[in-house]
Amino acid sequence: MNWFTSSFGSSIGKKLLMALTGLCFVLFLVVHLAGNLTLYGGGDLFNSYAEHLHSLGFLINISEFGLLFFALIHIITGTFLFLENLKARPVRYAVNKTGGGRTIGSFSMPYTGLFMLIFIITHLLNFHFVDKTNTTIYDIVTNAFSNPLYVMFYVASMVVVAIHISHGFWSLFQTIGFEHPKYTPFITGLSTVLSIVFGVGFGFIPIYISFIV
Amino acid sequence: MTTAKTINLNLKVWRQNGPKDKGRFEEYRASDISTDSSFLEMLDVVNEKLTIEGKEPIAFDHDCREGICGMCGTVINGRPHGPEKGTTLCQLHMRHFSDGDTIAIEPWRARAFKVIKDLVVDRSPLDKLIQTAGYISANAGGCPDGNAVPIPQEIAEKSMDAAACIGCGACVASCPNASAMLFVGAKVSHLGLLPQGKPEAAMRAISMVREMDRLGFGNCGNERECEAECPKEISITNIARLNREFFKASFFSSVM
Amino acid sequence: MQLDAKIPGGPLQDKWDRHRFELKLVNPANKRKYDIIVVGTGLAGGSAAATLAELGYNVKNFCIQDSPRRAHSIAAQGGINAAKNYQNDGDSVWRLFYDTVKGGDFRAREANVHRLAQESTNIIDQCVAQGVPFARDYGGLLSNRSFGGAQVSRTFYARGQTGQQLLLGAYSALSRQIGAGKVKMYPRREMLDLVIVNGKARGIIVRDLVTGKIESHSAHAVVLATGGYGNVFFLSTNAMASNVTAAYRAYKRGAVFANPCFTQIHPTCIPVHGDYQSKLTLMSESLRNDGRVWVPKDPKDKRAPADIPDSDRDYYLERKYPSFGNLVPRDVASRNAKEQCDAGKGVGDTQLAVYLDFADAIRRDGKDLIKSKYGNLFQMYEKITDQNPYETPMMIYPAVHYTMGGLWVDYNLMSSVEGLFVLGEANFSDHGANRLGASALMQGLADGYFVIPYTIGGYLAGESLDEVTDQHPAFTDHTKQAQERIDKLLSIKGKRTADDFHRELGGLMWDNCGMARNDKDLAMAKEKIRALKAEFWENVLIPGADKDFNQSLERAGRVADFLEFAEIMITDALARRESCGGHFNDAFQTEENEALRDDENFCHVSAWEYKGDDQDPEFIKEPLVFENVKLTQRSYK
Repeated sequence: MNWFTSSFGSSIGKKLLMALTGLCFVLFLVVHLAGNLTLYGGGDLFNSYAEHLHSLGFLINISEFGLLFFALIHIITGTFLFLENLKARPVRYAVNKTGGGRTIGSFSMPYTGLFMLIFIITHLLNFHFVDKTNTTIYDIVTNAFSNPLYVMFYVASMVVVAIHISHGFWSLFQTIGFEHPKYTPFITGLSTVLSIVFGVGFGFIPIYISFIV
Repeated sequence: MTTAKTINLNLKVWRQNGPKDKGRFEEYRASDISTDSSFLEMLDVVNEKLTIEGKEPIAFDHDCREGICGMCGTVINGRPHGPEKGTTLCQLHMRHFSDGDTIAIEPWRARAFKVIKDLVVDRSPLDKLIQTAGYISANAGGCPDGNAVPIPQEIAEKSMDAAACIGCGACVASCPNASAMLFVGAKVSHLGLLPQGKPEAAMRAISMVREMDRLGFGNCGNERECEAECPKEISITNIARLNREFFKASFFSSVM
Repeated sequence: MQLDAKIPGGPLQDKWDRHRFELKLVNPANKRKYDIIVVGTGLAGGSAAATLAELGYNVKNFCIQDSPRRAHSIAAQGGINAAKNYQNDGDSVWRLFYDTVKGGDFRAREANVHRLAQESTNIIDQCVAQGVPFARDYGGLLSNRSFGGAQVSRTFYARGQTGQQLLLGAYSALSRQIGAGKVKMYPRREMLDLVIVNGKARGIIVRDLVTGKIESHSAHAVVLATGGYGNVFFLSTNAMASNVTAAYRAYKRGAVFANPCFTQIHPTCIPVHGDYQSKLTLMSESLRNDGRVWVPKDPKDKRAPADIPDSDRDYYLERKYPSFGNLVPRDVASRNAKEQCDAGKGVGDTQLAVYLDFADAIRRDGKDLIKSKYGNLFQMYEKITDQNPYETPMMIYPAVHYTMGGLWVDYNLMSSVEGLFVLGEANFSDHGANRLGASALMQGLADGYFVIPYTIGGYLAGESLDEVTDQHPAFTDHTKQAQERIDKLLSIKGKRTADDFHRELGGLMWDNCGMARNDKDLAMAKEKIRALKAEFWENVLIPGADKDFNQSLERAGRVADFLEFAEIMITDALARRESCGGHFNDAFQTEENEALRDDENFCHVSAWEYKGDDQDPEFIKEPLVFENVKLTQRSYK
């Protein structure tokens, strides 16, 4: 192995990949949320936002491929980490109790991650890979969220995203070694704020839509 | 010392004849245990009784019994070194338990730590980590005067915080992923913070992380259980520093 | 046997330099042809193994714990002395030398102690280079404190964990050599015998504590750094596994044992509180800088300490020693606590404790200052006793802490068996009859880093050693003997556990060969110990099997050796017709109840040579010659 693969292949290297790709997703979510907030402005605003976005053309394609590539890295590396961690303790404890370090977010990372994968696939099938020739994206959204089951699934998914981020965000800074007595409290605070913002921001959309439809 | 009373306990103790044995829990009764005795002294009493009854006593590691050698340690009701914060098993006193309690006692569990017998595990992987690079290469003799290089008090104190590690392995035992990052992080911090440790810092970070992976420890998930259970309360700040040192060494040093 | 200390000639301050020049050297290319066995990985053993490997020797290092980092040096709290004179307060190599000789009640060799003081400064430099995080001042320079009543600040420290940090330094140097393949490490091994071939130490027999297998290891020289024998008292501040077996086995093979009756009883330990108790915990004696020691004047006074007014308290140390007060040396403080308890004035449930009261200090300096000085000690005390020393006085009682006696060694640290070197607490050389605080760490590291590397080379270069492998008949024979002893122990299947015997032995030793001794009790204890030994070999119960991880068997072997060794301690105590340092015989005291030395007749090292199981050992005298210091009576009035 050369220095590059052995660096990224090490336990810290893999964590680093998770952290850096995770950071990209957080940034993506910020943009995504900002765009989605146009939904509250009604169908026209939302449709024009979507149109404007697609007019970027090549840039959008690059971003999409980038996100897909990062997602693959995040998923594959995460799977490796999960399996390695399972293997690291072949005989489990009979009694499990936390010493106070774990949080819901931290212990459920692989599971919330898996759930999010399922959600993202569904989400893309619902809104991305659909025939948009005779309809607008706003219509697709409102149509989808007229189904209460969909609304519930989406809201639940957003709760899961919030949980994942509540640990993931501060954790990624710890992993890249950005840790400082002056700034770390801010980052852990921001972690909570972000997870609430994403959870509420995205989660309220399906509820709102289902009400106005 | 004046409020001593005695309590009775039910113990569920992990018994295992060797690394190849499957192991099982066995139940014992610990009667008339003084609340002033330590957890290990309670086990002594149980063992004395087992011996007299012609049974084999429970094997457990221990030595200094004053919380510094790092030899003792078992998982008590799911908590390494028991429920008290910042306490090794030998300094855990029975006054923290109540009459009639059931206590489950298990060995450290990790792929890297093979069970030798009952509650005794092989922690030599921690020694191997130090042997890889957990040192400063300074042969005896010919060293400059101790005051030749001033070290800011803050740095010396931070280094000492990390150096307080007793190598008991509770971090590995408590980590949901059986990772040794706190142990390695503490050593990389202890030495890397000091001017004397800087020349080898890049080599140290890379070698120790590679060895840690090779030995079969898991990956850090930043769950902070290690920090919560460490009897010397060593902070995960040291893990962040290890991450940083590893990052610097991997991408900005010439160490391959 | 004649004992020759081989002290080099010339003026005291030049002896070591001159000796180093005169010692023969081993050619660098030839060092790899020599195998050296080091038993023990504490400050002395760990530093010796690392340094010898750095020089190029092949080292085999053995330890009883699962890792070399756990040796009991790790528990030392206070600090390490060095004559750096960083504080500009009048310290010097000569002063450290003088303080150590005087503190040892003039029963140590001048030349050894002077070398120790000389090397002390190198130790600090070495440790700093290894990354030992000593305490520092704001400006970044090394910080010092005054310790154990010394009048200069020469003690270097790393919080209350100096021993740990120094040991981790030695351990890291050792680990580096293990990683480099120059040291082969054998953890979880217990030395059972010393192998001597043609009059020279050539190897050891050990038991693998995991598998029970008995192994032979040969070498060109053997270094023992196996610590002290304080656990003969069962309750001591030593670690549970600390034992005399390695040193005692060497003694039985011909190494003479020096000054076994010199044991140090530390005054500030947490008192015994029950039969189940397995060990005693020491608290740094720095506590006596601010704490006041007292007992109620009336033995029948059972009031809570806070309810006893000053007029009904006896601050006996301040009363008897107005100039030193609570800061009298360890032996004096310990003996006085015992005296008060013997007079029925002891406090607490067991009445074997005295108060150490911080109320006045807290009133004077405020709780915060006291907390900053002793916070961690107060916390430790509260953890163990469940009492808050900020509110109620601590209870303390002396406990066995260190043994000044050990295997006899010459100036080269070689025992009376050629090729067998002994370092650290396991030898007798530097502390005389009483060790000063913060000097044990200094001695262990001086021996390992800066003495043995020179002297062992001088030995190896000067000898033509035969080829001896572990197939030599001596190894097979000793292995057989070790196995027979184990078989015998396991076959007894009696009714009492080894711990039970150990506890009884400890009680006998503590009561009769502890802080104050007298001929009658010593003789009585000797008889009782003989009987106990006889009972042990008929009635000990050891569960489990031989070829297994069997902690009961380990313990039984150690207790068997303690039972025999205790007799030598008593023999030595009876033979020394004086009181000095850690040895106090009631018959020899000044009018003020202080230890009364007899410099005319007992200014010597008492060494004991093994003569057979059923015979008293033979006494050998090594006279001590003082050319540079004047022998004075210690006085702390």
